[in-house]
Amino acid sequence: MSNATLERTRPRGRGAPPSADAPRRRRSGWWLLLAPILAFDVVLFLTPLGKLVGASFADNAYQRVLEDPLVVRALVNTLTISLASTVVTVVLGYIIAMVLWRAGTVTRVILFAVVLLPFWTGILVKNFAWAVLLQDNGMVNAFLQGIGLTGAPIPLLHNRFAVIVGMVHCLLPYAVFPIFSSLASIDDRLGLAARSLGAREGAVFRRITLPLSMPGISAAGLLVFIISTGFFITPVVMGGPGDMMIANQIDYYARQLTDFSGAAALAVILTVMVSILVAVYQRVLKAGGQHEDN
Amino acid sequence: MTASVISAESIPGTGRAAQGAIELRQVSKHYGDVVAVDELDLTVQPGEFVTLLGPSGSGKTTTMMMVAGFEEHTAGTVLIDGRPVDSLPPRDRNLGVVFQNYALFPHMSALENVEFALRMRKVPRAERRQRAEEALGRVGLGKMGGRKPRQLSGGQQQRVALARALVFNPAALLLDEPMAALDKRLREQMQEEIKTLQKSLGISVLFVTHDQDEAMAMSDRIVVMRDGKIVQSGPPEEVYNHPMTDWVASFLGDTNLIPCTIVERNGEEAVVDLGGLGLAKVRDRGASGESYAVSIRPEHLKFRTRASAGNGCAATLVSSTNLGATVRHRLTAGGHELQLRELSSDRGTRILPDEELWVGWDADKAQLLVLES
Repeated sequence: MSNATLERTRPRGRGAPPSADAPRRRRSGWWLLLAPILAFDVVLFLTPLGKLVGASFADNAYQRVLEDPLVVRALVNTLTISLASTVVTVVLGYIIAMVLWRAGTVTRVILFAVVLLPFWTGILVKNFAWAVLLQDNGMVNAFLQGIGLTGAPIPLLHNRFAVIVGMVHCLLPYAVFPIFSSLASIDDRLGLAARSLGAREGAVFRRITLPLSMPGISAAGLLVFIISTGFFITPVVMGGPGDMMIANQIDYYARQLTDFSGAAALAVILTVMVSILVAVYQRVLKAGGQHEDN
Repeated sequence: MTASVISAESIPGTGRAAQGAIELRQVSKHYGDVVAVDELDLTVQPGEFVTLLGPSGSGKTTTMMMVAGFEEHTAGTVLIDGRPVDSLPPRDRNLGVVFQNYALFPHMSALENVEFALRMRKVPRAERRQRAEEALGRVGLGKMGGRKPRQLSGGQQQRVALARALVFNPAALLLDEPMAALDKRLREQMQEEIKTLQKSLGISVLFVTHDQDEAMAMSDRIVVMRDGKIVQSGPPEEVYNHPMTDWVASFLGDTNLIPCTIVERNGEEAVVDLGGLGLAKVRDRGASGESYAVSIRPEHLKFRTRASAGNGCAATLVSSTNLGATVRHRLTAGGHELQLRELSSDRGTRILPDEELWVGWDADKAQLLVLES
């Protein structure tokens, strides 16, 4: 059961590139091995999803939700906040992964634990911890006032900045691990070779390390973006009224308005939107890769 | 694959004469308490092909890495063309390096790999392309420039690595076990090609290997290393035929080691007592130690008649094994086990086990050496 649950969540990680030279084994009966997970998916995932999609077409739901200005606002918020969080997470994640990659064994183990800690901590705990830090009389403001950078507290909480901070903290491990694994697969001697051929550190990074870690970066970007679009607690705990994301609207439709067809329509809209973006992203990546081939 | 495809044209576009002397003075490398390289003195003359030969852990790769600048030495000085390079990073040492696994950039085509050094030197695009194509042509891969490393065979990858290391006219070439990943036939072919290329370019080479056949086949001079020290250095034939210690003798191939005591030493020659085998005249290089032995390579032992002059002893055949080109005979003589190797084509009348024989050797083929182990 737990195995199947793991499998269920795996499609999210589709951004991880399949190893190019994995041999394809096509033998008769291979599908039998898939039967348990297929059955599981059909009963517990596809059927409810089908019902949800069916429900979304009742009562003119799409027109109704899309005429709601709050929904449109939430959709725009979802895209911009997710995009911003993804960019920040991937950049920070890359830096952490680089440090991990270059660190000695002991440092690496400690750093891994530090990176994994938020992974194992509940999202509510993390967000409230940030709320405590960022509030007007919190540590960050106290520090800024203490060193005389500001006289009055800077509003750090209940705004978009806070939402992105909270999300990035939750998302970091999803960026660090794919990027680290692609960095770790780079042969150290490539860097030595480049240096012997006259490359400075900057050139080694730009021409060797960065291009060879692109699979990790693109996997991380995809993974982080998809997870971002579903954030629900962080906008509530750390955002202001103007930072509601689509998941909050779904909650609002389902629980406050008890408009289930409207909530279903919103869920479908989010799924389709993200799917289209993911498809475009992969198309662009592929084109980039082919261009590099020539 | 065709035979030698590396053509012997000079490097285009250079007026600079190939220099490339490498000199190490008292160079040491310590890792904490461990001494990887111990006060090494080594010189590679311009145009010379010098091989660092030794088992793993002998410090040969560390030595090469210190010349390349990837490892910092703890003491001593490294000079290239008479100039100390101790404080220079690898990129400024102007040395071509070929790594064991070639370390080709997998995301670049063969041509881009070769172009890399020129790109780093800001050579204009057109000239860069032309020189890279010429370098690829020189290693017989003129038409393969567009391929990615993974689309090339092991031998082709190695040629690309060579072209990449040579395209910027480096002062010298450093090769770190470059043939370890190739099969025997290809390895022998590449040995010849690299040697031909090296001669035609007149470039100095520092070559690292643990393979004594490879060292014998390619080097102008072999430097045998053990535990971070040079134990012997010289032309291949000299190191092979006149090892200074039993360790060198055994490392460079099969040998018969007969413990002995010195009766008389006079310059190049010594008279030794071989115990059960009597007195013999042997070559002496003045090595001194606590105990001595005489090394005679199996191919230098010959079946002789008792009447013939020179060193010799009575022996009994134990077994004979046909190895194809050669036949290996195991003998006992005076309480010692001896190996004798002769060409299959020289094999005379069949001898049978337990047959009494007389084996002999030329005095200059028997080397007095120090017993270390």
